[in-house]
Amino acid sequence: MFEVLEGGIQTTVQDYPGRVGYLDLGTYPAGPMDHFAFRIANLLVGNPQGAPALEVTAGGLKARFHDSRAVAITGADMQPTLNGTPAPLWETFAVGPNDLLELKFVKGAGLRAYVAASGAFDVPEYMGSRATFTVGGFGGFEGRGLKKGDRVRLKPAGAPAGQVGRRLRTDRRPQHGTHWEIEAMRGPQADPDYMTAADMDFFFSHAWKVDRNSNRMGVRLESHKWQWARKSGGVAGGHPSNILDNGYAVWTVNVSGDQPIILVADGPSLGGFICNATLIYASSWKVGQLMPGRDTIRFKEVTIDEATALAASIDEAIAERSIERR
Amino acid sequence: MPGSHEGNRAIIDVLSATADRPAVTYRYAGDRFILVEYGEMVLDLTTNFRIFGLNDALKRAGLDGLIETVPALRSMLLHYDSRRLPTRELVATLKKLEETVPSGENLNIPSRRVELPIAFGDRWTRADIERYVKYTRQDAPNIVDGHNIEYIARYNGLRNVQEVVDYICATEWWNACIGFWPGLPFMFPLDPRYAIVTPKYNPTRPWTPEGAVGIGGPCVAIYPVESPGGYQLFGRTIPVFDLKQRNPAFKANPILLKPADRIQWVPVTDEQLESTRERVHDGTYRYTIVGYEALNVKSYLGFLEGIKAEVTAFQQRQAEAVKHVAIP
Repeated sequence: MFEVLEGGIQTTVQDYPGRVGYLDLGTYPAGPMDHFAFRIANLLVGNPQGAPALEVTAGGLKARFHDSRAVAITGADMQPTLNGTPAPLWETFAVGPNDLLELKFVKGAGLRAYVAASGAFDVPEYMGSRATFTVGGFGGFEGRGLKKGDRVRLKPAGAPAGQVGRRLRTDRRPQHGTHWEIEAMRGPQADPDYMTAADMDFFFSHAWKVDRNSNRMGVRLESHKWQWARKSGGVAGGHPSNILDNGYAVWTVNVSGDQPIILVADGPSLGGFICNATLIYASSWKVGQLMPGRDTIRFKEVTIDEATALAASIDEAIAERSIERR
Repeated sequence: MPGSHEGNRAIIDVLSATADRPAVTYRYAGDRFILVEYGEMVLDLTTNFRIFGLNDALKRAGLDGLIETVPALRSMLLHYDSRRLPTRELVATLKKLEETVPSGENLNIPSRRVELPIAFGDRWTRADIERYVKYTRQDAPNIVDGHNIEYIARYNGLRNVQEVVDYICATEWWNACIGFWPGLPFMFPLDPRYAIVTPKYNPTRPWTPEGAVGIGGPCVAIYPVESPGGYQLFGRTIPVFDLKQRNPAFKANPILLKPADRIQWVPVTDEQLESTRERVHDGTYRYTIVGYEALNVKSYLGFLEGIKAEVTAFQQRQAEAVKHVAIP
């Protein structure tokens, strides 16, 4: 049992890869915003990489464990403490009955931390996944973020001793900064038919500021006066960003009017605006660590071959070979 | 340099149009998705039919590494694992399928017919429209007598509210795709003699009841949950989404409709709708869904050929009407 004393800004139960297979029924996958940190947390406590764990956005979580577990916290540094004593990041530690875990509000780089416990959080499966879909209010713990008084069940786990002291090798730890470089591929709707080459050059060179109004549905960037390759959207609408509704790839950059929005975990599955670039599997985790209103990003264009190579290397990094013992 | 060499372009490949099918454009959407676009930016249901034909063929092919597909109006998004199924291989397979999938005319598309009761100008949508006038926009030209139906009539050159009701019930509505929100259908009239159109709300409406039915442009949608919205409302139906899965229709998942369903509206009173909605929630109502029919594109195109003159006449009537109607 995991007893929530304070839920914080937004703490949800997620699993990975989330609710896959329902895009044609209008449902985005949910799941962790930073799949790298999420999967490492599970790996550290000996769970399957995709097992249900907590995503803590911006911090403020306070909770009590009711039994013995191995626990790992990864992602942004929220100065975690166990019974008031600093707890490590990217490293497994033991908790026992009545132990109090606290994550403060994030001060430095990054936005989201992940908390995995051996045995994993036990919430009902909904449409094949245990991930919380905040927009639809389903999945996870009662379809919502955790709040004071919630008691989340945990599955039985073995003695924590075997996992304690396992940590992610320092050279494998991601660097969180405030200015990010995020790899992306051009398209589906870019130059020459929807935007001009100059528009795309600007897109791939500008340092985009992350808008305050960003969440698990979309990460908004600042508006920009695009040149556009078309005068209007024709039958789809007056604005050149309008198209006849089509499916949106997960982690695509949707240009809605003048504003680019990265569609993330709980985004809309379909709509009538162009998407001029799409993040790749290996770079999407970075979006989960972007601090709204502070961070900036530059998109680095990569080819499909580069993206595939990066995908292989990130998956190879999320493996036992990256774990060492203290 | 971005865009200066082949590998960095948004477009992967193009197939020129043939007598049987429109041009096809294959576009990158990251390393896990590709978008396949058909023809020009025009709304043409036969293109949508062809996409369903391709979707069917693709599913039957059981491609290893293909995760899911999202058919839409003139495009299909494919979600795939690029390490198990390299992009080039996927595109080569899709191009080959274009040769083997029968041309639009010879397609039979599996399609369910779903009958849904609707209360036109119902009191629930009326209440939210009233709130809109009170709190959002007093002089909205799209609201006449407290509802949007009279405006729909005027915008399309129809005589009155009853004729709007007759038009909406005179055709089956083709669910071309689902999205934006879980279970939200984008539907178009299979009989273009009744293809009404409207502009959208301006500004959008902060409130819409669950089950509300509205039209924006040529597209009819059902609101799966209470939400903001921009479509002109004309009625309310029974749930198409139920989180709690209280009815057998929601046993597999909380979403009622599927792409390629045909919806037939059946008018009821507010009282009838209310009691039907109760029976949906207590699990005793049985949705009317007929699954054995398929849409034969050839006979459909034949039907279209026979009504051409009537369609043109209605379009002229609409074009004339629009001149005398204010846009929101």
